[in-house]
Formats: sequence, C-alpha cells, structure tokens
Amino acid sequence: MKGSKQKKLSGRWTYFAFTIIPVVLYTFFYVVSVINGVRYSFTNWDGMSKDYDFVGFKNYLLLFKNPYFWNSLKTTLLYSIMLVVGVIITSLILAVSLNSLKWFKTFIKSIYFVPAMIGGITISLIWDQIYYRVLPVIGQKLGIELFSQSLLMTGKTALSAVVFVQIWQAVAMPTVIFIAGLQQIPDEQYESARMDGATAFQRFRYITMPYLLPTVTVNLVLTIKQGFTSFDFPYALTGGGPARATEVIGITIYNDAFKNMRFSVANAEACILFVIVALFSLTQLKLTSKGGVNE
Amino acid sequence: MKIKAGKDELVWKGLRNIILLCGLILILFPLWLVLINSFKTLEEAGKNFFALPGSLNFTNYKELFTNSNYWIFLRNSFKITIIAILIILTLVPAISYSIARNFQHRYYKSIYYYLLMGLFIPSQVVLLPVTKMMSGLKMLNHTGLIMLYAAFSLTQGVFLFVNYMRGLPYEIEESAQIDGCSVFQTYTKIVVPLVKPMMSTLLIMDALWIWNDFMLPLLILNRTQEIWTLPLFQYNFKTEYSFNYPMAFTAYLLAMLPMLIIYCCGQKYIIKGLTAGSVKG
Repeated sequence: MKGSKQKKLSGRWTYFAFTIIPVVLYTFFYVVSVINGVRYSFTNWDGMSKDYDFVGFKNYLLLFKNPYFWNSLKTTLLYSIMLVVGVIITSLILAVSLNSLKWFKTFIKSIYFVPAMIGGITISLIWDQIYYRVLPVIGQKLGIELFSQSLLMTGKTALSAVVFVQIWQAVAMPTVIFIAGLQQIPDEQYESARMDGATAFQRFRYITMPYLLPTVTVNLVLTIKQGFTSFDFPYALTGGGPARATEVIGITIYNDAFKNMRFSVANAEACILFVIVALFSLTQLKLTSKGGVNE
Repeated sequence: MKIKAGKDELVWKGLRNIILLCGLILILFPLWLVLINSFKTLEEAGKNFFALPGSLNFTNYKELFTNSNYWIFLRNSFKITIIAILIILTLVPAISYSIARNFQHRYYKSIYYYLLMGLFIPSQVVLLPVTKMMSGLKMLNHTGLIMLYAAFSLTQGVFLFVNYMRGLPYEIEESAQIDGCSVFQTYTKIVVPLVKPMMSTLLIMDALWIWNDFMLPLLILNRTQEIWTLPLFQYNFKTEYSFNYPMAFTAYLLAMLPMLIIYCCGQKYIIKGLTAGSVKG
C-alpha cells in the first residue's frame, strides 16, 4: 500500500517534470517578449539608446495620423484579399481536378506539392529573375505591352506580381487538404445524383461543397494568417517598392524597427496588427463554422 | 438525358486536363530554367536564356563550392534544423502527454490554454522584442536561434499532440501501470510508439519551417557571415552576384537541393504528414 502511494506521488512528479522546460522556454522567450512588445509600444525607445520614457498612446495617435501607415494597412488588406481569393479558388479547382484523375494521380499530385518544399526566399529570387528576363521575351513575342519591363517595377502591377509568386507556393498545402476532404465524400452520393440526372455543376454545388466546407475553414485560417503576416515574398522581390506600392505591414514594421530607428513605433504597429489578426480570426471562425456536413 | 451527361463529362475532362497541364508547366518551367541556366556561362545565358546549355559545364558549381562558404552554410542549416527538431520532438510529446492525461487538473488545463494563446498572436509582435532580448543576453548565435525555434514551436505542437493523445485508449497504459511500469516507463515504452505518426507530422512541419525560415535568421544571425543559414546566404548572394545570374541560379538550386532530395525519397509520407497536421490544426 505504501509502495503504490509512493509510486503515485512519483508519477505526479513525472507529469509535472515533463511540463517544466517547455513552460519556462515559452514564458521566457515568447510571453515575456509579447509583454515587452506591448510595453515598448508605449515608450519613445529608438531601439539603441539606453534610456527611454513612457509616452502613453502617443505612438498610436501618431500612427493613426500617418498616411504611410494607413497606406501599408491598405496594401496589407489588399494583399491578403488577393492571396486568399487566389489561393482558395486555385486550390479548389486543382483539388477537384487532381482528385478525378485516373492515371498518374499520385505522381502529378506530388509535382503540384513541390513548391511547398521550397523556401519563400528561393522562390522569390527565382521569380524575380523570371519577371526580369523571361516575361519581357514572352511579351515581345506575343505583343503584350504589359510585360515589356519587369512587372515588379511598375507601381500598378507590382503588388499583383508579388501576390502571384506567393500564390505559386501557397496553393500546394490547401490543395492537398482539399483533396483529403474530397476523399471523405462517399461515391454513392455521386452515383445517385447521376441517376437523378444532376449536371456536373449541380453535383459540385450540392454534394461536393457541403462536404468541403470544414476544410474551407481550415484553409481560410491558414491563408489569411499568411497574408497578414507576409514578409519573405515582398521583402525579397521588391523590398516594399516601387514607391511603397508593395509595402505590407510586415515590411513597415521591419523597416521602422531596424532601419528607421523607430523601434517603439514599430512595436505599436505590430500591436495594431495583433488586434486586427485576432478580430479577423474570431469573426471568421464564427462565420464559417456554421453549416457543413461535419458540424 | 444520358447523352447530355456524357457530353458534360467530356467537356469537363478536357478542361480539367488543360488546367492541370498549365499548372504543371507553371510549376516546372521556372525550376527547369534554374536548372539549365546553372550550367551556362554568363555569355551563353545572355545569348539564349531558354536554350539547353551547350555542354554540362560545372564551373558555376565548382566556383560556389570553392569560393563561397556554401558548405559552411549548408552545415549551419543542417545543424540548426536537426538540433532544434530533436529538442522539439523531446519536449512537445512529453508535455502534451502530461496535459492530455491530467486535463481534469487545473494546472495542466491552464498551461494548455496558456500555450494556445500563441495561435492568435502574429509573429511580428514577438520578433522585435525578442531580438532585443537575445542581443541583451548575447545570444545572437546558433544556440539562441535554436532555443527560439524550440519555444516558438510549442503552441502548434502541443495543440496537435494533446488532441491526438486524448483520442488514444487509456486501457493499455493502465494495464502497464498495474504491471509495475512507472509513468515515465509507460510514456517511453507505450505512448511514444503509439504517437509515432504524429511525431513524423511534427518533424516534417517543423523541419520545413526551420530549414526555409528567413525572418528569424535575418534578425538573429545576420551580423557574422560564418553563422548564416542557407536562406540568408541566398538573400545576401542576390546583391553580390546580381550581374552574374547563372551563378545566382546555381546558388538557388544548391539551396533547394537538400529539401528536394528528401522530398523525392519520402514524398508520400511528407504530403500525408503535413495534411494530417493541418487538418487537425
């Protein structure tokens, strides 16, 4: 009896011991940093000097009056919308197409997944070269004026060109997630719909879509967060230019913190992004969790 | 009616094949260009960017292998990824096991939600202050970076594992404990083998993230060249070799290569693992 009691106690200690290192690591590096970040946003610290003062909401007030900040918020929103729409539609089309293949299905699917293996920086640098060297040649042959110089260098096209490169990579994951969702649909449903004379579109609308809704939620959450926090692609492709046309909030924050010596302002910007991301995730989870077969 | 459905099908199949073909070209063509131009001299590439190289010319590769620190960066990337992954795979399943088996207990329930907070916080909020902190701690080096990866991986890892472990049957563990196994023995002998699928998912997810990550190395390692990772090398290479682009292509190819080789060997498991992670996550 005494033995088992002792053992129970030591068991409890093992459970507790398992949690110590992770909780300390997380608290020290993550939580303390978040708290510091919020704290810095209320100071006038430039990131280098030894002293700084608390200035209350001054950074926030200045930001709300700053047209460049609004511009970068607007760019981020536009970027995210284009990314989400592009990724969801493309991956949905690809998933339905790939799933209905009879031959080489695994092989073709595995090629479509290759971009997910490559880092954003490598992809951006490759596409930078393609925009610069390949598209102008193609444009000349086909007589498309738009391609005559790199799309990244014109203010009007730069943002879409950057989004396109990120879509090129970001489509892979949602596609295989959609395929996993499609494979849960029982074949009999399609069979009976076909018997009843439903068209391909009707079958998609009334059988495929309801089953896919939960996966749509997963993919939306994934992609929206990628859009709002995007940094690698615009940073490596354009660095925010030309004339701030592709300056998303991730770049503004980085530049203010480490180039413009406005560290506290950069933290305030990050905090505003935090609030936006949290609000978006919550409303969007509420909205999309309704409906769908699994709910 | 039947004929109409058949025609429908045919149109759809044709359309589908065209879409998939265009997609394949869009994915493979850039990679193909990188491959063929990495074998060209600058002069040759300038003449015709799209043509096959005249001969398999390895000068770019030789130059990169000898005149740049490619091997050092490759070793750095491998070292950071492997050590970080080992730490993550030791810590995450263990703490998740504790949480999953003691969820009725207030302490474990609260650390679960405490760790989950990270899901709602965009990385930028953490990255700026953590950079200052690491600089203050004199940890702008590999050790510091690895610790950060371990800390930042916890949220998603614990989320995945706790949900997975709570679905496992408790009876096997119970009978092991009646047979005299301690909690630690039960964990290593019974639970770890059971959660191997989830372990491979976490391994793939985090390995891809750490290997390809650019932002954290940029903030933590950018000062001294000897400690760069491959993504940093590529980014900085852009300015150095902007005129000699066949050389740049060689660098990009060499940076992608390790991951692509690993992908070729285990693509089935990689796709499966990543999907399992995201659908649950």
